[in-house]
Amino acid sequence: MSNSSQSLELLFTFLSRSYTTLETNFFKIPGSAVVARYVKSSHQNDPGRTLLEAILIIFAIRTLLQSRTRGDQSAKHFIQFDEKEIDELVDEWTPEPLAQPLSAHEQAELASVPVIVGPNGPKPKLASGKIVTNLASYNFTGLAGNEEIKVAALDTLKRFGLGSCGPPGFYGTQDVHIQLEKDIADFLGTEASIIYSQAFATISSVIPAFCKRGDIIVADRGVNFAIQKGLQISRCTIRWYDHNDMESLEHVLESVEKERQKRKSPLTRRFIVTEGIFDHDGAMSDLPKLVELKKKYKYRLILDETLSFGSVGRTGRGLTELYNVPASEVDMLVGSMATGLSSCGGFCAGSHVVVNHQRINGTSFVFSASMPALLTVAASEGINVLRNSPSILTTLQENVRAVRAILDRVDCIHIPSHPASAVIHLQIRWPTLQVPSAMTATPSSSSKSSRSNPLLVKPRDPPQFNVELEERLLQEVVDEALAQGVLITRAKRLRGQELIEVRPSVRLAVTAALSRKDCEKAAAVVKAAFVKVVGKRR
Amino acid sequence: MSSLPTAASYLSAVSEADARARAHGATPTSTPALSMSSSVTSSSEDTVLDESGVDVADGLSYPRVPPTSDQVFTTVHSEFGHCANEDYRYTSQHRAGTPYKSIPEQDPPYYILLTTYISYIIVICLGHVRDFVGKRFRRANYKHLLPWNGYAALNSDFDSFYTRRLKLRIDDCFSHPTTGVPGRTIVLLDRYSTDYNKTMVLTGTRTRALNISSYNYLGFAQGKGPCTAAVEAAVEKYGWSSGGTRLEAGNLDLHQQAEALVARFMGTEDALISSMGFATNSNIIPGLVGKGSLVISDELNHASIRFGVRLSGANVRMFKHNDMKSLENLLREVISQGQPKTHRPWKKILLIVEGLYSMEGTMANLPIIMALKKKYKFYVFVDEAHSVGAMGPRGRGVADYFGINPREIDILMGTFTKSFGAAGGYIAGNKEIIDRLRIQGHSFTYAEAMTPPVLTQIIASMASIMGVTMPKTPEKPSSPSLALLRSPEPAPVIPESEVIPGTAPASALPSWMPLVPSMIDGSDGKMRLRRLAFNTRYLNRGLRKLGFITYGTDDSPVVPLLLFHPGKMAVFSRMMRTRAVPIIIVVVAYPATPLVTSRVRFCLSAAHTKEDIDEVLRACDEIGNLLDLKHADGERWPVEEIIERAVELVRMPECP
Repeated sequence: MSNSSQSLELLFTFLSRSYTTLETNFFKIPGSAVVARYVKSSHQNDPGRTLLEAILIIFAIRTLLQSRTRGDQSAKHFIQFDEKEIDELVDEWTPEPLAQPLSAHEQAELASVPVIVGPNGPKPKLASGKIVTNLASYNFTGLAGNEEIKVAALDTLKRFGLGSCGPPGFYGTQDVHIQLEKDIADFLGTEASIIYSQAFATISSVIPAFCKRGDIIVADRGVNFAIQKGLQISRCTIRWYDHNDMESLEHVLESVEKERQKRKSPLTRRFIVTEGIFDHDGAMSDLPKLVELKKKYKYRLILDETLSFGSVGRTGRGLTELYNVPASEVDMLVGSMATGLSSCGGFCAGSHVVVNHQRINGTSFVFSASMPALLTVAASEGINVLRNSPSILTTLQENVRAVRAILDRVDCIHIPSHPASAVIHLQIRWPTLQVPSAMTATPSSSSKSSRSNPLLVKPRDPPQFNVELEERLLQEVVDEALAQGVLITRAKRLRGQELIEVRPSVRLAVTAALSRKDCEKAAAVVKAAFVKVVGKRR
Repeated sequence: MSSLPTAASYLSAVSEADARARAHGATPTSTPALSMSSSVTSSSEDTVLDESGVDVADGLSYPRVPPTSDQVFTTVHSEFGHCANEDYRYTSQHRAGTPYKSIPEQDPPYYILLTTYISYIIVICLGHVRDFVGKRFRRANYKHLLPWNGYAALNSDFDSFYTRRLKLRIDDCFSHPTTGVPGRTIVLLDRYSTDYNKTMVLTGTRTRALNISSYNYLGFAQGKGPCTAAVEAAVEKYGWSSGGTRLEAGNLDLHQQAEALVARFMGTEDALISSMGFATNSNIIPGLVGKGSLVISDELNHASIRFGVRLSGANVRMFKHNDMKSLENLLREVISQGQPKTHRPWKKILLIVEGLYSMEGTMANLPIIMALKKKYKFYVFVDEAHSVGAMGPRGRGVADYFGINPREIDILMGTFTKSFGAAGGYIAGNKEIIDRLRIQGHSFTYAEAMTPPVLTQIIASMASIMGVTMPKTPEKPSSPSLALLRSPEPAPVIPESEVIPGTAPASALPSWMPLVPSMIDGSDGKMRLRRLAFNTRYLNRGLRKLGFITYGTDDSPVVPLLLFHPGKMAVFSRMMRTRAVPIIIVVVAYPATPLVTSRVRFCLSAAHTKEDIDEVLRACDEIGNLLDLKHADGERWPVEEIIERAVELVRMPECP
């Protein structure tokens, strides 16, 4: 008994001694007296709080120590297995193949893509040896074969070599890039611009650079795939308005504002995202109305001019020139040097603040090598050509009118594209009464009465069509036109990956490099092909 | 050469020229085949850059030691350094039978860590004070950070704090504008700032600097040479635009030739190419995996991979960088647990790793990954953005380096920016997968196709690494023309296995493409690979012998040198740039690296000569002493000894 009390006594002395050393050491730390005083006084006032705070500290330490990669282990769905069971499960597991083999239809799809031998231009040669009239490639203003540009490009090649060998931040910014950024900004009339090395990767990087979780984006239902991907990455709150319908846009803007007032949520960034000329059908946005609405509701406008830059306006400056709206009214104006200037890459023009922000936050700008110098100079020279010879755009518009004059009045063709658009989509027009199964004519007038839900990307009355049938017919049209010496293409879509199913169409891209006569001839061939393939089924 | 359309006519021209040379009794060293090419000349004025007003004594534009009469250089010294010493060559290869390991990461002394944290704290506090005062007294300067007229601020001041208050202080080290070829040297456009780096003003003067920053591993960034000649021919013939997406109307014969050549280069069945490296990952990964699939990703994977995985909608789990134990634990967990909540088995598991990590210099531990793959049945995606061309005895990337059959790896992805002096990226794998990605990836349907000049650069540079098999001509094999094509040195014989076909068949190349002998026999490519391997090992080991803390492996052409302090980044960069022989380097810090491990990154190139590396080592030695950077353990050599014993240092199997 005495033995045990003695050892207890020893223990107590040890405890008290270690406590004193701890205490003296603790008070040696600068600022510890304050902490001690705080703990003491709070304990006096409210002993429960000490306990609470101790628990909080323990919890914080536990959270910090928990490994990120093993986050699931403590979750309630975690099942404990022993090693043997895991081995068995591993042996049992058979994964799906990494890629499903192509179906016959998909193989045919790949095989049907024409191979151009030699330079692509208004009259390229195909692998079959045939020389065809090209109404499919993007070469609106015929810059692709321009001799002046070629001389400048070759000169650049000798001075710079080909690749830029580095991202813009690490010695990849060359004087030619700075020059092109300046040229684009001057051409459009914005403060600054920034160039990306692929057009498709531009807007999907611009959107998430500005729009973060909690911000609001109001977008057109018919925006292109690149924008859809940008919206997906941004993780914003997205509201949809009917395709190219300003009334619907205003309604959505109004409802967002009401919702905000009702919830009294703080002010967040708000954006309208749409296209100049839509990739899906060639329709054109009403820019003055867009600008009016964005100012009224205090939104910022992100406008994708991939197809309209270099194809509309007096000198090809795009929608802003066509509608005579200063480009500075568009907060982020995204365009493509690949389609508009027959080079490669894309750009975003805007104010200094907008552009400089992207130099750090534009993912595909920061993490990608800058554009090859040769192609950068080709784009700069392209702008020069456009600036100095407005006649090219006049020729282009004449060609567009010539093609439209022939195709507009064909019974079996429906053209949703704007009359000034150099990209012309041809859809199949079915007679209203005799429609193939799973397909009715597009409702155009009846849908106005009740509105679509802005939360859903699907419109209230989605147009009905039979994708497979129409694609097959259109492919026949394409093949038929090719047999007659005109290269056209179906507008290719990733079926199932687009947010809404896009109606199949044949996409023409008119160019100023062809004479008016050639365009008329080619359009007549397309018309004949449509009549032959679609007309006989009516 | 461009006047000679086919390879056969080229060969006959070579033999004619040879006969002419014999008739005139020329010396055997002035190779007639070289002098007849329009793009390659052996005269000395053409091989150094003609630039008046540049100081010639710095060894950048002109070699310090003039070449002897029997050294014929065909490159411009400022783009691709002249180096004839065969001792300065090495082969980048994993030593069979040894496990892969990178240099053990060393921690700096505690006072370094402590002062690093303190310096961040000081800068952050100062920044907040300035923001606080500025927002109240100089509102105009903060307009874009404050709500204004009913608009929310475009940038939140919290998000942009790091950029405004930390990065801006050392902004003179980033985005320096350049001009000319980003080869061995680069020309900087001098600039200064009058408003603390908010805006930069170009002075109009230029500085030529030694370039140890550009991704130019094999030195194909050249304004003059066979590849450039090929590109020139391509611009003449094809122009510079492809005119649309691959599946619509931008599909050229060149695309198909390039894809076939890439597949042959990588040793896979098929390959596809995309016009941007970043977009190759971000557009193709969504075509591979989706809902119900799991992506296991190294924690240090590149932003493009994360972007792609996020778009794909697949689940993601990360494992500790290059930690194979952590990977195996994770694999056992995810396979046994299945999908979250439902516990259904995963449809498929894709492991994404990088061949060579561009900020660390470490390599994926492929031998162990392949062993794990056999057991756990996941698919492997290797991003070879930095390793293709730069690693392996034949330049075929990490698989070549480790001696692994490339067909065992499911997806080999890489870019053309770094080793091939071009742009864009590729995906190589078996035909089924590649065809699926052509249909299901985003690139082919929506993104513009690669342009002809870029395609040609890829074809020419790859062919030059591979060597070209000429079609059998009726001439006897012992004819003088073929003797000329043989490389002068008895190169180490590498058995040509079926798996990695060594050469490009001439029939696979565009018929109009000019070829030169050094390209046909592959001696040019081999020289580049071996020079890069030497430079790489030399700098890696040299820096360690000086006492610097570096990461990665000895064979990595990306060499990170640890600085720790954010303040030292700017000083290091400025001191290197303002030396007698200016050297430009890349400094990286948070968020590209963990907060405390700010670093300098060197990117080596085959274009560098040994003297260039000596110069870099001397510069690092001096600056390292000044900035107190030498904290590594291990034996140290003085810098002159390192330079003296460079060859010995490189050839040591293990660096003590």
